[in-house]
Amino acid sequence: MKKYFTPLLILCLLLTGCSGLPTAREMGDMALLRTLGVDPSPAGVAVTGSTGPRAKGLQGDGEPALTLSADRPSLSAACLAMQGQSDSFVFFGYVDQLLIGETLAEKGVRPVLDYFSRDAELGLGAQLWLVRGASARDALSAGGDEGIDTRLETIQNDSKMGIANLTRTAGEVYTDLLELGSAYVPALSPAGEGGAVLAEQGYGVLKGDVLAGFLEGEAAKGLELLAGGSSADVLDVELPEGPVSVKVTSACTKSRLEFQGDVPSALKLTCKVEVRLSEYRARPAGQGLESLRTEVARLERVRLEGALEQLRAWGTDCTGLGAKAGMLHPARWQGVQADWPERFSQVPVEIQVEVRIL
Amino acid sequence: MSRQEANAPHPRKEPRFPGPLSLARLEEVFSDCVDFSKREVFLHGDSQRRATVCYIDGQARTERLNDYVLRPLAQDPMLASVPEGELFALLERGALYAQAAKRETEVDPVAFALINGSCALFLEGRDDCLVFPVATEEKRSVGEPENEPALKGARDSFVESLRTNTSLVRRRMRAPELKIREHIVGRQSLTPVDVLWIDGIADPDTVALLEQRLDAIDIDGVEAAGNLEEYLVDAGKSPFPMMPYTQRPDRFCQGLLEGRVGLFADGIPLGWLLPGTIDQFFKTGQDRAYHWLVASALSAIRWLCALITLLVPGLYIALVTFHPEAIPPKLALSIVAAKQEVPFSTIFEVLIMLLAFEVIQEAGLRLPGPIGATVSILGGLVVGNAAVEAHIVSPAVLIAVAIAGVAGYTMPSQDFGNALRLWRFLLAILASLGGLTGLALGCAGLIYHLAGLESFGVPYLAPFTTGTRVPRGHPSLFRLPLPRMKWRDGPVRTQNRRNQR
Repeated sequence: MKKYFTPLLILCLLLTGCSGLPTAREMGDMALLRTLGVDPSPAGVAVTGSTGPRAKGLQGDGEPALTLSADRPSLSAACLAMQGQSDSFVFFGYVDQLLIGETLAEKGVRPVLDYFSRDAELGLGAQLWLVRGASARDALSAGGDEGIDTRLETIQNDSKMGIANLTRTAGEVYTDLLELGSAYVPALSPAGEGGAVLAEQGYGVLKGDVLAGFLEGEAAKGLELLAGGSSADVLDVELPEGPVSVKVTSACTKSRLEFQGDVPSALKLTCKVEVRLSEYRARPAGQGLESLRTEVARLERVRLEGALEQLRAWGTDCTGLGAKAGMLHPARWQGVQADWPERFSQVPVEIQVEVRIL
Repeated sequence: MSRQEANAPHPRKEPRFPGPLSLARLEEVFSDCVDFSKREVFLHGDSQRRATVCYIDGQARTERLNDYVLRPLAQDPMLASVPEGELFALLERGALYAQAAKRETEVDPVAFALINGSCALFLEGRDDCLVFPVATEEKRSVGEPENEPALKGARDSFVESLRTNTSLVRRRMRAPELKIREHIVGRQSLTPVDVLWIDGIADPDTVALLEQRLDAIDIDGVEAAGNLEEYLVDAGKSPFPMMPYTQRPDRFCQGLLEGRVGLFADGIPLGWLLPGTIDQFFKTGQDRAYHWLVASALSAIRWLCALITLLVPGLYIALVTFHPEAIPPKLALSIVAAKQEVPFSTIFEVLIMLLAFEVIQEAGLRLPGPIGATVSILGGLVVGNAAVEAHIVSPAVLIAVAIAGVAGYTMPSQDFGNALRLWRFLLAILASLGGLTGLALGCAGLIYHLAGLESFGVPYLAPFTTGTRVPRGHPSLFRLPLPRMKWRDGPVRTQNRRNQR
C-alpha cells in the first residue's frame, strides 16, 4: 500500500496543488481572432482584431466577422479591453496575421514585436505586413463582413507558390532587426472601389525598428532577387526575330566581400537566374538565344541596381548580403560588422548576372 | 469445528479415499450418485462364477463396455473352464479386449478411474479389481477458429478436449523432442493441465517454474481461463494480459518453435504460450502467411492503432479544453461551430461517450447475434446521429471516440485491447484534470507500470528494454523476410537460438 501511496500523493499534488497547470476553457464560447492590426492613437496604441467569418452551429448560417478595437496606452491594456467587448471569450492564440500601420512603422515596430514574443497566446509565427498609405484599422475594415483573413491567407499561399510577393513572419522580421539592424516587410494597401481590396505594394524597409521607406516596382523585384526568393515574373524582350516572353522560375544571389587589408574594398554579387521561354513567334536559337540571355541579364541587373541604390542610400543591408559574405572571412567580418551599415553605403558593388534559359 | 477453523486454509487430503478396495467400499464412495452403475455377470453362464462390472454412466462408452468387456465375460467358454486361481490373471492378460488392464487394490485410484471413463471388474470373493479404459470420446469436433479467422492458412482450432488439442499439436510437430507433461489442478474438478515444450529449444527453467506454479495452485476447480492465468502470472493486479493465448494450432506450434512453453487445460479450447511479452499481443497468425512488406505494414498499423485508441480521447480533451492554440485554425473553427449549442463540457461529453460506447459494445456482446447487431446499429448510428442533431454531443467528440473505439478493435488480443480500454479512461480523466501535462503524466505512469511487469522472469517490455546484452531475434514492430529471421529471441532464454540454416 505504501508503495502506491507516495506516487499517488505526488500525482494529487501535481494535479491539484500546483498552480502551473493550465485552466480549462471551452472552445464553444470562444471568439478566435485571426488578424490583429496595430496603429498609433492619441491614447497610445489602437488595436483592432478580426475573427473572419464564423459559423453559428453545425448547419447554421455564417455570421459576419467579429471586429473588435480598443485604444489604450499599451498593447496589453488594449487587448484586455477587447476582451470586454465580446460576448465570447476572445482568444488570441489563433492570431496568425499581423498588420502594422505606416504611421506606427514610422515610430517603431519594436514594442509590437516585443509584445508578440512575450505574450503567452500570441506568437512570432504570425505573418507580418505593413499597411502603406492607410492605417491597419482601415485595412481590417476593407474586408467588410467577410474579414480579410481569407485574402491574407491567399496572399500567403500565393507567395509560397512563387506568384506573389515574399511574405515574412513577425519572427523573421524580429530576428533580422536584431541581427542585421534592418529588415524588409511586405506591404499592402487598401485599393479598389472604397478601398475594399488589399493590394500588394512592394516592400517596406525597416532600419532599426523604424520605417526607412518603401521599395516598389522594379526595385521591389530587385529586392526579391537579392533575397533569393523571386516571385514569378514575366519579362518581355524584343528580339530581331520578334517579341519573346520569358518567365522567371528561380533566382539566387550570392555575395562575396573583397578586402584590402581589413577594409572591405568591394562587394561582389553573383545573381543566377533561371527563366523559361513562355511565348515566342520563332523559338530563339543560336545568336537569338544569346541576345535573349543578354537582355534578360540587363533587365535583372537594372532591378538589382535599383534596389541596391535605395538600400545603400538608407544604409540598410536588409537581405544580409554583408553577413552572408562575411561567413567566408569570419575574422575580418568581425572587425567590420559593427559599422557595416555605413560601409554598405560606401563600398563599391560589382554585379554579375548569369541567366540560364530552360 | 469453529467458523474460523472452517474458513482457514486446510491441506489437501491425499489420498482422498484411503484404505483397501472392496466392492462395498466403492459403492459407499459413490453412494447418492445416480450415474454410478454396476452389472453382475455369470461367466459363460456359470452361476458359480460371478463378476461385477462397475462404471459411471455417461463417462464410459456403452458400445465398448458391451462389446469388449461384457460380451467376452458372458460368452467366452474359457472363463468358465479355467481354474479359479488363474481366472483373474487370465482376465488381466487378455481375455477381455481392452487396450489396458490394471489391477488395483486401493479405493482411491479406482474411484478416479471410473470418473475418467474406465470400468472396474470385481470377481466374487476377491477385493482387488481390474480397471479397463472404456471412456467415451464424445466431444465437439475441430472447427474453425472464430476469434482468429484465417484467410490464408490452416482452419482448425483447439477444442475442449485436452487430448485432441495435444494431438493437433503433435500432428504438426512430429519431433519426439516435443514433450508433454500432465498436472492435475483443482481439488474438485481434478482438471488435467498439460505443459508442452520442445526439448532443446525451450528454457528448462521456465518449464520448471511453470510446473512449480501449477503444482502450487490449490483451488476448487478450473472452470475458466482466469483460474489458471491469475494464479500463474506474477502481476495479477495489472490489467495487461501476461499469458498470450491462441485458438490456432499453427500459431501455438510457432510459439513452441520460438522457444516458448505451451499450456493446455482440459475444457478450455485454447493454448497459452509463455513467457508473454508485449509484442506477442500484436502478432497474428497471418503475419507469416502474408508477404513480409504487407505484414510489416499491418503490424505498424496495429501499433499505431494501439496509440490511437489509448490517446485520442485524452488528446482531444487536452487540446480542446486546455490547449486550443495547438489545433489548426480551420479545424478549430469547425469545433467552435459544432460546440456552440452543446450544453455539456467537453470533458463530460467525452467521458459519457466513452461510457456509452462501452455500454453499446457490452450489450451487443451479451445478446444473440442478430439482436446484438441491431443493438449496435440502434446505439451507434441512430442514437449517435440523433444525439448530434439534438446538439447533445458535438460531432467531433463522436468522431474522436469512434476512432478510438474502432482502432481498439485492431488489437489481435482482446485481453490486451481491454487493458487499453481501461487505460484510455484513466488517461482521459488525467487529461481532463491537467491537459497535456496530465496526459503526459499518465503516459509516464503507463510506461512505468509496463516496465515493472514480468512474465516468468522475462520483462514484459522485453523486445524493447533488454538492452544490448541480450541478443534480439528479430524486430518486433515489423517483420523481416523469413529467410532473414534466423534467430530466436534472446529474452525468451531459448537453449538454441538459431532456427534455420
